[in-house]
Amino acid sequence: MADMLCMVVSEGTFDKAYMPLIMGTTAASMGTEVHVFYTFFGTGLLKKTAKPKLPGIYRLFTGMFQKKMKAVGIPSHDEMMQQAMDLGVNFYACSTTMGLMGIKESDLKKGVKVLGAAAFLKLASESKTTLFIG
Amino acid sequence: MCPMPIVHLAKKVKEMQSGQILELLADDVGAKEDVPAWCSRTGNSLVSTEEDGKLLKFYIRMK
Repeated sequence: MADMLCMVVSEGTFDKAYMPLIMGTTAASMGTEVHVFYTFFGTGLLKKTAKPKLPGIYRLFTGMFQKKMKAVGIPSHDEMMQQAMDLGVNFYACSTTMGLMGIKESDLKKGVKVLGAAAFLKLASESKTTLFIG
Repeated sequence: MCPMPIVHLAKKVKEMQSGQILELLADDVGAKEDVPAWCSRTGNSLVSTEEDGKLLKFYIRMK
């Protein structure tokens, strides 16, 4: 078992967007190899145009929430993803979801790789920790 | 706030040399447990910890 953290992200809301970034940057800072696989509604978070909103009716308060996060020193979603990439965190878009939702490779943020489930499962099987961010 | 103290710490460490002591100031309560955990995982040693009101100070010797 390698010192690796694998995560699956299947939702695209604001809270689900931040969790893997916080866990991922922390793990990478501790010297752990990190792989994050985005599938279903999570995949949209990897688009250049991604603007995640809080879930349900709380989506109306996303702006307010973002201001609060900024005030306590938490970077924006884009900044945090860049920071994670700089620390060596690997981001993968599920190839099937891309086909289903009409997401093109050119729509994805720079540095994001496209991966199939089998390749991700191989990584997960070698990793000490695998988390599902539902 | 979590995870920023640890992320800043990991970035700064790259600029440091072995044996040097790094002073880390944090206002995140979580850092109390996070910094020792980071040290034990990365093999750096936590020399001392101080609490100054809401501010936490950590002194870490680079491996």
